[in-house]
Amino acid sequence: MNFAELTTEPIEITNVARRVVPPECGATVTLDGYVRQFTKGRETLYLIYEAYDEMAIKEMRKLIEAAADKFEISSVGIVHRTGRLEIGETSVAISVAAPHRKAAFQACDWLITELKRTVPIWKKEVYANGEEWVGGDGSR
Amino acid sequence: MAKVLFFGATADIAGTRQVDRPAVDTDCLLAELIEEFPHLASQRLLVSVNQEYASSTIPLEDEDEVAIFTAVSGG
Repeated sequence: MNFAELTTEPIEITNVARRVVPPECGATVTLDGYVRQFTKGRETLYLIYEAYDEMAIKEMRKLIEAAADKFEISSVGIVHRTGRLEIGETSVAISVAAPHRKAAFQACDWLITELKRTVPIWKKEVYANGEEWVGGDGSR
Repeated sequence: MAKVLFFGATADIAGTRQVDRPAVDTDCLLAELIEEFPHLASQRLLVSVNQEYASSTIPLEDEDEVAIFTAVSGG
């Protein structure tokens, strides 16, 4: 029931959320992370995401295992998109199903925090007058 | 030879996504690559060997897959 995937196609949030529902659960919490137009006063035209595919999948799977240890949850689905993304498009979806919603919320928050810290994927911001790879701490 | 992969900012600096280099250890490899691509030195670099993060120097064998990249920014 757990899955960790990369895709170059648009992410359909409800599909991700629906794939994690097992019978013993009462709630699924889904994070829909999408491309923001304005960051620190600069306007983004679009983003490019690049991944170290095999290692990214491995690291996402490790996170899912760790989350299952840490929180009382049933299943996790993570899908991250790579390639060019336009404003408003979903870059990452994380769905967590659990018997009770509190664990699902906590696990989902933990997962996105850890994904941003450890999964080998890089974001390049393209502005009207330049472009740059974003640093791990959000620096550019 | 070890297979060395670059991504994102490091790929831009190296002008390539992959090179083959003698497999000694990651410290030596990094030093060599910085000599070859000096702009790498201006970045805080992360290293992985066979898709596991390397926090200190690791001896390398032929066919090992090493990746050199900057801090990740997914999500």
